[in-house]
Parts: sequence; structure tokens; C-alpha cells
Amino acid sequence: MSNIDQFESIFKASIKEKFVYDSPEFKNILIVTDLSKDEVDSFSSKIQNFLNFLDADAKNVNYKIITDGMFGSTEELLKIVSENNPDLICSYRNLHSQAWKFPHSLGEYLDVLLQKSCAPVLLVPHPKAGYAYEHAFDSMDNVMAITDHLSKDHRLVNCAAKFTKNDGTLHLAHIEDQVYFDRIIDAISKIPDIETDQAENLIKQKLLSDASDYISSCEKVLLEQGNVSVCSIVKFGHHLRHYRDQIEKEKINLLVLNTKDNDQMAMHGLAYPLAIELRQISLLML
Amino acid sequence: MIDNIDSHLAAAVSLPVTITFAGILVAMILTLTLEEKIHAKKSVIVGFFAVLCLGLASFFHLVPLGDIILPNGHNIKMPAYIPGVDWEVIAIILGSSIFIDVISKSGLFAWIAIKLTKMSKGDPHKLLWYYGFMTVFFSAVLNNVTAMIIVGSLTVVSLDKLKLRQLLLGFLIVEGLLTNVGGLLTLISSVPNIIVGNAASISFTQFFISASPYVLVTSCVTIFMGAKIFKVKGFASVEEKEEANLLVSSFDENDSVESKLFFKFSIFILGAFIVTIALTSILPVVKDLGIGFVAMSFAVIALLRYKSEVDQFYKAIDWDLISFFVALFVVINVMEHALVLDLIGQVIAMIIGESASVLGTAALLVSAAVFSSVTDNIPLAAMLAKILSSMNIASESSLWWSVIFGANLGGNLTPIGSASTLVAVTIMHKHKLPISFAGFVKHAAPFAAVQIILAALYVVVFL
Repeated sequence: MSNIDQFESIFKASIKEKFVYDSPEFKNILIVTDLSKDEVDSFSSKIQNFLNFLDADAKNVNYKIITDGMFGSTEELLKIVSENNPDLICSYRNLHSQAWKFPHSLGEYLDVLLQKSCAPVLLVPHPKAGYAYEHAFDSMDNVMAITDHLSKDHRLVNCAAKFTKNDGTLHLAHIEDQVYFDRIIDAISKIPDIETDQAENLIKQKLLSDASDYISSCEKVLLEQGNVSVCSIVKFGHHLRHYRDQIEKEKINLLVLNTKDNDQMAMHGLAYPLAIELRQISLLML
Repeated sequence: MIDNIDSHLAAAVSLPVTITFAGILVAMILTLTLEEKIHAKKSVIVGFFAVLCLGLASFFHLVPLGDIILPNGHNIKMPAYIPGVDWEVIAIILGSSIFIDVISKSGLFAWIAIKLTKMSKGDPHKLLWYYGFMTVFFSAVLNNVTAMIIVGSLTVVSLDKLKLRQLLLGFLIVEGLLTNVGGLLTLISSVPNIIVGNAASISFTQFFISASPYVLVTSCVTIFMGAKIFKVKGFASVEEKEEANLLVSSFDENDSVESKLFFKFSIFILGAFIVTIALTSILPVVKDLGIGFVAMSFAVIALLRYKSEVDQFYKAIDWDLISFFVALFVVINVMEHALVLDLIGQVIAMIIGESASVLGTAALLVSAAVFSSVTDNIPLAAMLAKILSSMNIASESSLWWSVIFGANLGGNLTPIGSASTLVAVTIMHKHKLPISFAGFVKHAAPFAAVQIILAALYVVVFL
């Protein structure tokens, strides 16, 4: 061990990101719907029932319902959201559209709202569609937070923990893309100066250990704060296939994911395809 | 122990021959100064001059050639250049570098570095003091280059973590300058110490007792000046302190420790190494074998931990440095026979003056510092040690210390003055902190001037 880079690597590796607990408050909730008047009450009740764990005294949570006639364009919806400054927005995909029948988009309202609004958006299965899983609106026994870079994502974990009911399980998932990794290793295998097997093992180990260490830190802190147990899922695989299998296997009630991307205006690379395809349960999109 | 038969003694040397070899020596030193510019390693430069010197020495019949006859009458066939090499110095450097490299694998030095970072709670002012003294300690135990690499790398990572990147330049300059101060602490802390200490027969303990007060005071002065000049202050608000503490608390000092057993063993064996080296001159059996034997023995013991994969440590040995030494000793040996060292000795005698006056002692220190600021301090130390030996200077004379202090501290005047300041500059460039030769001198000169003045006073008054 004799060069600068080796020691910088040692010191960088010694930094173990620790989870910082900061439970968010969801006092003002905005329900946005395009349903007709006679359907709104039923939908609103369903949502309030689904979220009743947010505060032990549900009366402290203030719900406001934005209905069909109150907005006719994206601008109007954004203006309403801005005026109400909600802690959470509840809605579903393809507002003012029949495209919810096809698993190909979220609709123009949600596309813009998810990027413009600072408040998290809870996307529930479309009320008219029959594809929701049976456990989709059960109490939050199993919540899963997903990312392709879990370390230091305190907000994601805090929000997911907040939505997990007492005695429930918070699944923290970090899936490294196997296809992308294989491409990198394939490139390394063509560089004579780098030993391929050693590089593959070391990179694999490091990619997984950072996430595992962070999850261990989350588990420790969350156990101190309450009764939420943490289940760690850290592996290589295919994102969508793996998350879908996990949702079915563990009867996940809510999937929590990031949607904002600092590098681009569009939705986060992993979030969009997941949000499009995973229509059977609710998604909390940050 | 080794005598050459009279018939093989060198012929008388004429002045033109001496001047020719002096010219070769000057050319070698100048080429070493341009090492970075001509993209050639030290070992190749000095190796080339060693070949040239030996060829010419043979042509002029300067070096004794033929068999070497031992006192018991046995003949040994040995090339003329072999006895010229100080193998004790080579053994010390080889043994201690392998030993320290194996110990580094235990994570001990990274553990100490991270532990100190956490103890500072992220306060930049405390961090500068802690890192400053860590640099001095590591330079004393390890070699200066490794010390700078460890502390410099940690400084980059921790200041990045604390979002204090603007302080990086100041930290790296202070640390770079302290490596050469820390290199004065023990007999084995730097190569000039080994060479001169060996030539003057200064023991490890004697060296430590004589040098440590200066190292302590100068380290404090350097860090204090660094904090003032580079405006390194502590946090004022409680919030800043809490946030910094939280950030450094994410460092895990145990991450680099692969085996707790080996970690504990490393602490024990490092302690045993230092104690044995300190007691070499009085330990029975060991005292006859010398520090080189101790260093090599500890290297072998440490290598037992990695007995099946020792080749990784052999690869990590700085063969450029080892080959450089061997070639350098050959060149100096030839210069001795060509009476070049006598010639330089006359100049040094003029500098020192009659019976080594106070002014002469200080002048030798300053001259050594100035020379080692522009060229490698190792040939300088080796040459001056040889000259002082030939002048029969007593081992308790302060002139030896003038050479030791001057050769070490001169490296702080310029970025090319020592390998460790060069490492500091390399780290600066790696992290997009471009600093020119003049820029470095401008920053470093006040520190180096204070260090050299303090050294001159210390040598003259106390040694």
C-alpha cells in the first residue's frame, strides 16, 4: 500500500453513511380526483381509511378534496396545489383521460405534477380499474422503499417508515442492474491491465456493501424509534421483474420511490417505468 | 575487516583528473535536479553516472581492483564497486520498508488516522493540530513519503466530507512541511539521518533525545503559523459544531481492519521494533549485527503473516530508491578515490572555519539546507557524511547535526526539495489545486525560514 489512490480509497470506504431519523408530518392532505360527484365521497372515504394510521388522532389530519370541475388544465391544478401547500397529494394515474386502461403512461397531469410539486404524491390504483391487488388498500403492514442508490437517502426511508404501521415491516430494497453491471465487466475483461475476476468480485462486493451498511444503520435507528422492523433486500437483478415478484410475494401495500432527478427535467430514470407498470398497488412518489 | 592488498591501491591522482570527476559529480547533481523535467528515474540517472565513473576510474587506475584479502588470509573475489556500497544503510531501508508495508496492511495507521479525525469532532482548527502531529509521528515511524500519502489522503477525504475544501491547500502545505520536521525525530525517520547517523555512530536513543525537543517546538510553531496564515479557525456556532461532529462520526475506524488478531499483533510488533532499534547498541548479539539486521529480521517476522503471498510486498518495494542508493554509493566511492571529496572538504573546512566555530556550524547547516532545497538531500548527506568522516570529526560534534538538520529542512524550501513535499504537490494537482513552483515557495518560505533559523539556534546552543 504505497500510493495516494490506495489510501484515499481506504478512507472513502471507511465512511459509513448513517441514517438520520426525521419523521415527516402529513397534516394537510390534498385529494385530487376527476370522479363524478356521487363517486367522490366513496373514493375520499377509501383514501382516508387507507391513511388513518398517519395520526393516532385522525381528526388532526386535514383533508381537502379537489374535484373534477375545479381544474381543467395542468396550470390550474398546479395553482390549486400551490395555494393549498399540502404535505401530501393523493391521486391516481390518467386524470381526465381513459388512458388508464393501458399500461403506458401516467397522464399529463401526473407527469407535470410529480416534477413540479414539492409534496410527495400518493398514487393509488385507478378507482375504476379492477386490477388492484386484494391487499392494495389493506393497512400498511408491508411497505417497500426502492432505489438504485439507497445510501444517504434519508428522506426516502423516513417517508417509507412513516407509512409503515406499528409492528409492520419496512422492506428496504437496493437492486443493482445486472445487465448494466455485465456490460461494465465485459469492458473490463477487454482491458489487459485489470484482472477481470478480481475486479468483478471487488466491485460487486462494494456496490452491495454500501447499501447493506446503510440499511443496517436504518434498522438500528428505526428500532430505537418504534416498532417497525426492517427487511433488507440488496442484490443484483432485473429491477422491474424483481420488484414485481417481491410485491406479490410479500404482499406489499405501498411502494415508495424517488421521482425527482437533479440531472434532468424528466422523471427519475428508474421511477417512470416502475410507475407505469406497477399499477396494482399504491405508490408514494417523492 | 576487509583490507586491500597494497599492490592494488590506487595510483596518485592528478588535479585535472580530480577536476574531471568533480565535473561529473556536478553534472549528476544537476541532472538529478532536472529529474522531473527529463522524465527519468533517480536510479537510472545515478546508475548511468556510476557506470561512467567506474569506467573512467578503471581507465585512470583510481579504484583498487583485484581480490580482497581478509585478515585471516583468505581471498575473496569481489567486484571493485561492492565494498563501496554501505550495505547497512541498504539493509535498514529494505527491511524497514517491507516491515512497515506489512504492518500497514493491518489497518493500524488508517485506524489511528480515522480515530484522530473523530476525536477532533470535525473542528478544522483541532483537525489541523491533530493532523499536524499525526504527520510528525507517522514521518518518524514510517518514511516521509508514506506519511504524507496517508495524512494527505485522509485530509482530502475528511475536508470533502466536512465541506471545507477551501482549507485543503493550507492543510496540505502544513503537512508537507511537517513531514521533514517529523523526519528529524529518530535515526531511522529519514535516509539522511540513517546515513549521517551511521557515519557519526550516533545511537537511536541518543538521536531521539537530541532531536525531539527541536521537533516538538518546531511542529507547534509550524502548526500555529499554518492556522494563522491559512485562516484555519474553529467553528463558532453550536449548530456548526454539531453538524461537523455528525459528519465525522460516519467514519468507521474499524473498516480497514481485516483481522483484529493481526491488528493487535501489529501494535505489539511495531512497539517491539521501535524498542529493539532503540536498544540495538546495547543488546548483546544484536549490537554486533546492527540496525540493518534488526530491520531485516522484523521484516521477515512480519512477512510470516502473508507467507504465501509475499510477492505483493516484494513488488511494492521502491526498487528505484534501492538501486539509486547502490549506484550513489558507487559514485561517492569513486569520488573519494578521485580526491573530489577532499576538494569539497577543503571548501567545507572554509565554511566551518577554525575549530568549528558557532558561525561555521550555522553556516554549514544553512548551506546544507540551501543545497538540499534544489537537489536530492540523499547524495548531499552521503557526500557530507563521507567528508566529515575523512576530516575525523568527533561523533559528538554539532557539525553532524548541522548536516542532519540542514539536509532534512532544506526540502521545505521548494516543492522539489524533498519527496514528501513533492507528494503534497501531487495531491494538490490531483484535486485541482494548481500550485506553481513559485507559488509553493511563496507559501513555504516563511515556514522554512523559521524552521531553519530555529534549527541553527538549536544546534549551536544545545548540541
